[in-house]
Amino acid sequence: MKKNNRPFNMDERSKLVAYKVIAMMYFMTILSMQGVIMYKQFALGQSIHDFEGFAVIFLVNVLFLLAALLYFGAIPLRKLNLKSIALIYGLFVVLGLLFTFLKYNVFQKMGLSFIEIMDKIIIVVVLCSLILLFFAVFALLGKRKMNKELENKRYIIDFKLLSS
Amino acid sequence: MKNIKMKIARVEKGLSQENLADIVGASRQTIGLIEKGSYNPSLNLCISIAKVLDRTLNDLFWSEENEKKQ
Repeated sequence: MKKNNRPFNMDERSKLVAYKVIAMMYFMTILSMQGVIMYKQFALGQSIHDFEGFAVIFLVNVLFLLAALLYFGAIPLRKLNLKSIALIYGLFVVLGLLFTFLKYNVFQKMGLSFIEIMDKIIIVVVLCSLILLFFAVFALLGKRKMNKELENKRYIIDFKLLSS
Repeated sequence: MKNIKMKIARVEKGLSQENLADIVGASRQTIGLIEKGSYNPSLNLCISIAKVLDRTLNDLFWSEENEKKQ
């Protein structure tokens, strides 16, 4: 059996504690960054264009966080039917439209015309479809990986049973 | 709930918490917390501990309270 002689060798409990602390700090960092951005934007009145870099970081972060959770099976997906997928998609679209409306008509006070709003709706619908597709691909790849692992383990067990 | 069985088995084997921790690849704190009942070890760690202490998993980690619950 391996000896644990290295001074900073983490055992399973230390790793578990470290993962919990890291996850908590990650969310606190994201939340505080958002707080700072909102303060700068709304209290100090800095331009929204100054925060485009942060917006990209947030977007990539959230997209890949959810994709990774789906891929590694951290989000338990039961058999999704068309109705629930349509519901999730609808929710994405409604939230997207709400944020777009708030962004342009409330925060930036641009007062978009009907044609401009229709343009934004098309963008929101296309973006929501792409995001959902992105998540679906990762969820399917994760499911395939899991099934492959389970199949390999079943073969090993079958082999052991046959040879005993 | 304290794991007295594991503590007794460890002492009978003449091992300190640190010795056991070194052999199974864990820290002394982890062994202490398992004995205190404050940490649920993984099955792999349970098996390692059971092998080192020459006991079965039932001997070390199964309590009568578990049976009553079922």
